[in-house]
Amino acid sequence: MKFKRMINPVKHLGTVVTGVALLCTGLTAQAATDEYLLTVTRPNQLHVIDTKTDKLLRSCDVPGIFGNGGIAASPDGKTAYVMTNKWEDVYGFDISNCKIVFSMKQSTKGEQVKSMISMTVSADGKELYTVQNPVKLHKDHFETLQPRLAVYKTADGMNAKPVRTYPVDRRITKLGFIEKTGEVILGGADVKAIDPTNGKVRTLAKLQNWDRSPEGWVPPDAFAMHSLGEHIGEYIMPYFTIKWNGAPGDMEKAEFLWGMTKVDTKTGEVTSGEVLPFEFIVFNWVTDPNDPDVVYGSFNQLSKHNIKEGKTLAVHPMPHTYYNINMLEDGSKIYVGGTSSDISIHDPKTLEKIGSIQLTGDMSTSDLRIAKVQH
Amino acid sequence: MHMYLHEGVLKNMKHLKSFNKKAKMLETAVSQGEVEEVVAMQSVVGCTSVNDPGWEVDPFGGLGSLCQPMESDLYGCADACWWPAQVPDTMSTHPNWSQDVAKADEDWRKIDAIFPESE
Repeated sequence: MKFKRMINPVKHLGTVVTGVALLCTGLTAQAATDEYLLTVTRPNQLHVIDTKTDKLLRSCDVPGIFGNGGIAASPDGKTAYVMTNKWEDVYGFDISNCKIVFSMKQSTKGEQVKSMISMTVSADGKELYTVQNPVKLHKDHFETLQPRLAVYKTADGMNAKPVRTYPVDRRITKLGFIEKTGEVILGGADVKAIDPTNGKVRTLAKLQNWDRSPEGWVPPDAFAMHSLGEHIGEYIMPYFTIKWNGAPGDMEKAEFLWGMTKVDTKTGEVTSGEVLPFEFIVFNWVTDPNDPDVVYGSFNQLSKHNIKEGKTLAVHPMPHTYYNINMLEDGSKIYVGGTSSDISIHDPKTLEKIGSIQLTGDMSTSDLRIAKVQH
Repeated sequence: MHMYLHEGVLKNMKHLKSFNKKAKMLETAVSQGEVEEVVAMQSVVGCTSVNDPGWEVDPFGGLGSLCQPMESDLYGCADACWWPAQVPDTMSTHPNWSQDVAKADEDWRKIDAIFPESE
């Protein structure tokens, strides 16, 4: 598998058409979309941040005990679905006023259900999906049951129940949604997609079960938490591998490599392959909206890389670890968060820090998402 | 440590008295016919099922690629069960362990150890 540049003619065509239409009507293209930065902190609050001013607009109390703080925004950006109560329940918030418009509890008496950050919303906003990991609680032992995709109707409002369920693999974490095919992306040992109307599963990219010889390669270790790439309609799953240029285990000749699997969430186009030398740990990556060859990574440093040339362009040391990273649609700012209680804001050109947002508690495992609201 | 006994054995041990919670539950379950004959430890719900001792060294054998400082990483690891041996199981048995401390780097002294409940 070789990494190919992803070209999205539909997107470029759409930009041109929109531009022509705006010129014809004499309108300008300014401020059609407001972007809000969303995250969750302890003790358990959803925070809504205006990305124009980088000020905290409001903090919404989330029912239940913190965990994991996962967020999925509705396509119109107006509702934020938050995973809470020890990775079990989901509440939907109107981000303009903190009103709770949706709720569901996954565990039932005798069956404990956890979702390992697995949550996403359909492109039309009508369905919410989670991957449930159920365990039956017997009196003297636990019985692990088959994981399943659960489908909820967002219009069902409070105390919603799944309308359909389908069996899925174990160890699935972050989900995405492909607009063209109507499938849910399942990030796990391999990257797969499931049709939420009939449960049919297909493989998008093999990782743990790839076809390469173990004499030449170490099977990929994928890290599927947090960042998705919603600012440009991308699902991004990084992985680490080793290429044995000599005998397996010969570290002198081995190459340590970053790979990425990317799914265009509009078209479903998949690209997968090695992109960079593994020089240091990166927890999460995002792609530059203005250059698909440029990616940024967060962890103990903020870094900038060219994945076409396989080069690290810049590294900016950070005062503490940040798990998470996101960007605005126009590529003007990078937000780095997760772990502690501050979101660090950076200039994508230089990686220099240009601002900070202080929050009331630690973000821990919570998401750092962008919600786009059209006006 | 967990011990599982054949149901028949349990029924014939009437001269023994259960002395802790689990034994009492088991005794009740036997009387209701809800105990399987042999129960293997096939799965565990909580963090202790995760065999990850924590990151003592990074992939390069050093410390530079570990999360820093530990207080920034504490909840991120505890909440996701990455440190099953070092911190309480917040996902299942001790969900309130750190609820009163919103910022670990400021109030880490308030995060206490836990102790077994008295029977």
